Amino acid sequence: RAMELPPGHFPAARAAAAALGYLRYLRGGPGRGLRLRELRRARRQDIDDVGHKYYLELELEDVLDKDSTVSCTAEVLYHLGSKSSAPDVQVTVQGELRSTEQADQEFYNWIRSLEKELVAENIPDSHGNVPPELEPIHLLAWVASGYVIWQNSTENTKLHLAQVKHVKQVKRSDEDLQFDFVVLLHEMVSQEVLPWQVTLLWHPQHGARVSQSRAAGAGS
Amino acid sequence: LISIFPIQLDFWLAPRKLGLPVDIRVPFRSLQALKAHLKAVGVSYSVMIENVQALLDDERMEMLRSSRQLARDTTTFNYAAYHTIDEIYSFMDMLVAENPNLVSKLEIGRSTENRPLYVLKFSTGGTNRPAIWIDTGIHSREWVTQASGVWFAKKIVQDHANNEGVASILETMDIFLEIVTNPDGFAYTHTTNRMWRKTRSKHAGAICVGVDPNRNWDAGFGDAGASGNSCSETYHGPYPNSEPEVKSIVDFVKSHGNIKAFVSIHSYSQLLLYPYGYTETPAADEKELHELAAKAVAALSSLYGTSFEYGSIITTIYRASGSTVDWTYNQGIKYSFTFELRDTGRYGFLLPAKQIVPTAEETWLALKVIMEHARDNLY
Repeated sequence: RAMELPPGHFPAARAAAAALGYLRYLRGGPGRGLRLRELRRARRQDIDDVGHKYYLELELEDVLDKDSTVSCTAEVLYHLGSKSSAPDVQVTVQGELRSTEQADQEFYNWIRSLEKELVAENIPDSHGNVPPELEPIHLLAWVASGYVIWQNSTENTKLHLAQVKHVKQVKRSDEDLQFDFVVLLHEMVSQEVLPWQVTLLWHPQHGARVSQSRAAGAGS
Repeated sequence: LISIFPIQLDFWLAPRKLGLPVDIRVPFRSLQALKAHLKAVGVSYSVMIENVQALLDDERMEMLRSSRQLARDTTTFNYAAYHTIDEIYSFMDMLVAENPNLVSKLEIGRSTENRPLYVLKFSTGGTNRPAIWIDTGIHSREWVTQASGVWFAKKIVQDHANNEGVASILETMDIFLEIVTNPDGFAYTHTTNRMWRKTRSKHAGAICVGVDPNRNWDAGFGDAGASGNSCSETYHGPYPNSEPEVKSIVDFVKSHGNIKAFVSIHSYSQLLLYPYGYTETPAADEKELHELAAKAVAALSSLYGTSFEYGSIITTIYRASGSTVDWTYNQGIKYSFTFELRDTGRYGFLLPAKQIVPTAEETWLALKVIMEHARDNLY
């Protein structure tokens, strides 16, 4: 009873954006940024008293490995009526993602070796530039914003990371790296640019976790 | 290390005491040996910057680009960089001066902050020939569009000089190009807020500044798909054509009376859209527009493989009322299209400058398909 959706129509595209946010949170890192190359197929099922469930077939690409292509399937369930609950997302990646062990360890060592905590702003800058040494930070911002995007997606929104306004590393006594981000999210339907504060913890073996996030006050 | 490696190791963070890290810039020819030595003595290291020279090259290019000297002519103008409004207005004047028989500059009105609204007219003669209209930058933060508009202007002149490309279109049609359609917003993205979208008008009773110029047209004005809240990015304004940036185009189109194709260019999302946005009722010419869009998108994609979706506004992106091409279509301009250029969200509005020219080149191929179809199917 799932209805086929034209991939070029917006309902499928919005569900794909939510799935991508979730996947970036789960599998992204300083050495891996996943991008949607193509939405191959989309179906929707309306489940009585539950909500709308989207079945997606996606083709992804690792931005650091342009020739790579990874297929995945995703299920996105938007709960009926409930505006405050995140969609349930499941993603299955077909095949292996390229290992980022070495890049992750190098990045970890570099940050740990810094005397002063890393601070940066406007990534990318107005002209789209990202200094190469900050690209891993940019990709970690994708992880952090991926969480916020997943948590705040509805059938009426399509969220993207517009810019990292500010990032500050916070040294910790445990082994995790901590980055406090202020990110600007662009919401396509309302066209609003929304500032969010997100604290991301990351460790090369333990992966990423958002410890807190909240919509920030109106920006500049 | 210094004694073992007589060739310079450049310490960027000098040795201070045991236990503290040291940063070294290593000349390429010492790299292998240094790595081997560190491994042999058990000193761990990590690479902070792979290629310092590349960073320096980029920085130098950036400095050249950002040195605010106006280019002397349209040949030395840097099309692969983002420019200020003054630089673009200066470009227009140079283009006209270099090609007085082809290009003229029209002032069709003034913005809220009294900036001139300029349209370039490309014409090989005739009187009020059937015409094509292209506008870029109606939403000021969509910087790749104004930058592409500059490239289009130069391209038209080059094609004409080489008697190729759009030269044949110019034999029977005129082209109008408004590059900075929202100059107040554009200036604001340079000085204050890179993410500014709307105009900079302040209407009586409105709490916030600015109207969405793509919700201000008289087609389904105020219906669902726009906001009545002045603080919203899709605020439609107090009444249709309240914005001089919009009204000036409306007046121009009506008084010209012979525009056959109208293309309004935005970013981002990689879409080619046709009416309607304010209603689910299909446009009467939907079949033809859909087929034309398919051809245009195929041409665009042929250059760099960039993939675009296409369809009506309301099915492809969202419901939007008061939008530009819904109005132009209802005026009888059959070939009314809106583009959303690169990318699909990786950089979004902050598209790297090095993508300007490829974006403009591929988009131009799609525009040519539309222009040629209009020329061959005059109505």
